[in-house]
Amino acid sequence: MSIRDESIGDRIGTFGREAIRNGWTRERFVLLGLLGLVLVSLGPPFQVYLFTEFLIIALFALAFNLLYGYTGLLSFGHAMFYAGGSYGLAIVLRDLQPHIADTIGSGIAPLVTFVIGGLIAVVGVLLLAIPIGWLSVRLEEIYFALITLAFGMLVYSFIIQNPQGLTNGTDGIIVTLGITEIGGTELRLGDRQTYYFLTLAVVLPSIYAIWRIVHSPFGTICKSIRESPDRAAALGVNVTHHRWMTFIVSAVFVAISGVLIAGLANVASPYHSHWTTSAIPVIATVIGGATYFSGPIVGAFVYLYVRWGISRYPVLEAYWEFFFGVMLIVVVLYFKGGAAGGLVLLQAWLLDVRTAYERGGTSEAWAFVRESAAEKQRNLSARLSNLGRSEPSEGAER
Amino acid sequence: MTAVLAFVSVSDLVIGLSLGSRLFLIAVGLSLIFGVLGVLNFAHGAFYMIGAYVALVVTNQVVDNFWLAVIVGGLAVGVIGVLIEVGTIRPLYERLDGELDQLIVTFGFVLVIHEAVRFIWGSQPYSMDAPASLAFSVGIAGSTFSAYRLFVIVAAFVVMISLWIFITRTYFGSLVRGTSSDREMASMLGVDVPRLYTAVFFLGSFLTGLGGALAAPLQSVSPALGDQVIIDAFIIVVIGGLGSLSGAFVGAMFVGILQSIGPQFIAAGHIAIPFLAMVLVLLFRPEGLFGGIGE
Repeated sequence: MSIRDESIGDRIGTFGREAIRNGWTRERFVLLGLLGLVLVSLGPPFQVYLFTEFLIIALFALAFNLLYGYTGLLSFGHAMFYAGGSYGLAIVLRDLQPHIADTIGSGIAPLVTFVIGGLIAVVGVLLLAIPIGWLSVRLEEIYFALITLAFGMLVYSFIIQNPQGLTNGTDGIIVTLGITEIGGTELRLGDRQTYYFLTLAVVLPSIYAIWRIVHSPFGTICKSIRESPDRAAALGVNVTHHRWMTFIVSAVFVAISGVLIAGLANVASPYHSHWTTSAIPVIATVIGGATYFSGPIVGAFVYLYVRWGISRYPVLEAYWEFFFGVMLIVVVLYFKGGAAGGLVLLQAWLLDVRTAYERGGTSEAWAFVRESAAEKQRNLSARLSNLGRSEPSEGAER
Repeated sequence: MTAVLAFVSVSDLVIGLSLGSRLFLIAVGLSLIFGVLGVLNFAHGAFYMIGAYVALVVTNQVVDNFWLAVIVGGLAVGVIGVLIEVGTIRPLYERLDGELDQLIVTFGFVLVIHEAVRFIWGSQPYSMDAPASLAFSVGIAGSTFSAYRLFVIVAAFVVMISLWIFITRTYFGSLVRGTSSDREMASMLGVDVPRLYTAVFFLGSFLTGLGGALAAPLQSVSPALGDQVIIDAFIIVVIGGLGSLSGAFVGAMFVGILQSIGPQFIAAGHIAIPFLAMVLVLLFRPEGLFGGIGE
């Protein structure tokens, strides 16, 4: 016990020293990031709400991209797992809260019920994803998109049908988080700030877990499948089995985001299972850049904050989807890297500008900026004059 | 069996056939485009909606001629389809993962068209009158139907038969079938594949626009129309077989009749059954219940 504590303490100490001493190290960025996340909680309630929603959608899109970006399967039915998480939590809160309060006392019951509800929801989705994934991964490309769409809409019609009053039909189930009492202090889970920290405490470890999965041997195999399923199979990878496992992992993380959205929106709604909800991670991931790990996170940020920005102009407010439609088309046609790819290019460009500055001061840097702008313009006009022609076959081997 | 049949009245059957007819006109274009180009056009429901709105505008504001409005609706959607195909889908044919990229691009157009329609015509539903020449009722087996409803069913049959003759009996049809079964070979034999693709995309878009315009008097026209019909169209083409014309016809009638008689049998099951059928067909016969193009 004590050894473990010391080692963790030591590690934190080393981490802190690294962050302070050695300039702009990774440690300092992490520390500043965490500080930024804490600062967000002090903002106005609506901003806290928006940022919480961003975290949840980011996890949703990231989990979706495990399947799309890392194994090349486009699911149009992930809303079923999102709604599965929401409904799991809502049903447990509605039906089991009194029993749990009887067993462990009403003080901490709301928090405990939330945790139990979340766990039951995730396990429920896991049990749903195992057979659905097993059946779906037999198909590829368009057919996979269609079968996941069909499964998703089956779940939607099940929820609408309201079997034995379980899902409360089209109204959905109201989620009340209640007031938890721990040692005399009251904790309102539904409070914007509290819920923000709760979301943070769930989403950050989940993102880290996905990061570890992607960078594990398992993740490497997934990427090899995306690049070429045939070659991966030739190397002895069981492609179908791997896709199935990825499907399940993806569904579990989507369920976690679904649990969180039910608590944030205070409702488990059938809308969460409709195919239009399945489109949200597709939009966020494609705009953000599916080939980058951070793409879905950047995309979720763009999705929520561009939408918020648009909503400040009443003329445009009602038509925000229009802009996302245009963004989708432009990104797929001209810029597969998406927003994350754009950030990477921007970073490389800024480094080039700095090199030019170090070589010959301001004039050299300015000359570089003008030259690269002119080059971009040439490229763009060349692209525009090629409009309507088929691309030179980058996928000729197919 | 007789107990089941007792529930099915002639009136439900006719309504089901008319629902199926309008679905057929969407699904057949979707299926044709997939069969030849390999593109699953997510925006096909939105195209259908544009057809209905254009017909509405023509009859209300330009000339009060229903038949002209239907033709203009179809042609307008055909032209929009060509612009979209040439501008945004054609660059993706050669790309690895091109099929998914095309699906995402056409989904982008679902959002764009939906919002554009809302911007131009607002969110309120419109209704359209049937042409005066068909504004009478017909009695069949004790129930009365508007003549227009029966006309739409006949129109679907006519489109099906003429399309079938077009694909199997004409020179252009043989080019379409050849290109659909082997694009490279067709190209080597001198078929201008890009132009053929554009022509097929025009035809598919024209048919769905025509369907939207023809069905406008039978339904309320609102921006939600596109999203409603595209999912039905997906179900139909999957059940019938992506690329199959007769499959689109049988699938459309199946879904249409299910929509009209389903609610009486099973409270909300009629929503689930088409999706269940879709899953089963995808799992056991992914090529659909009816073969490829021209069958």
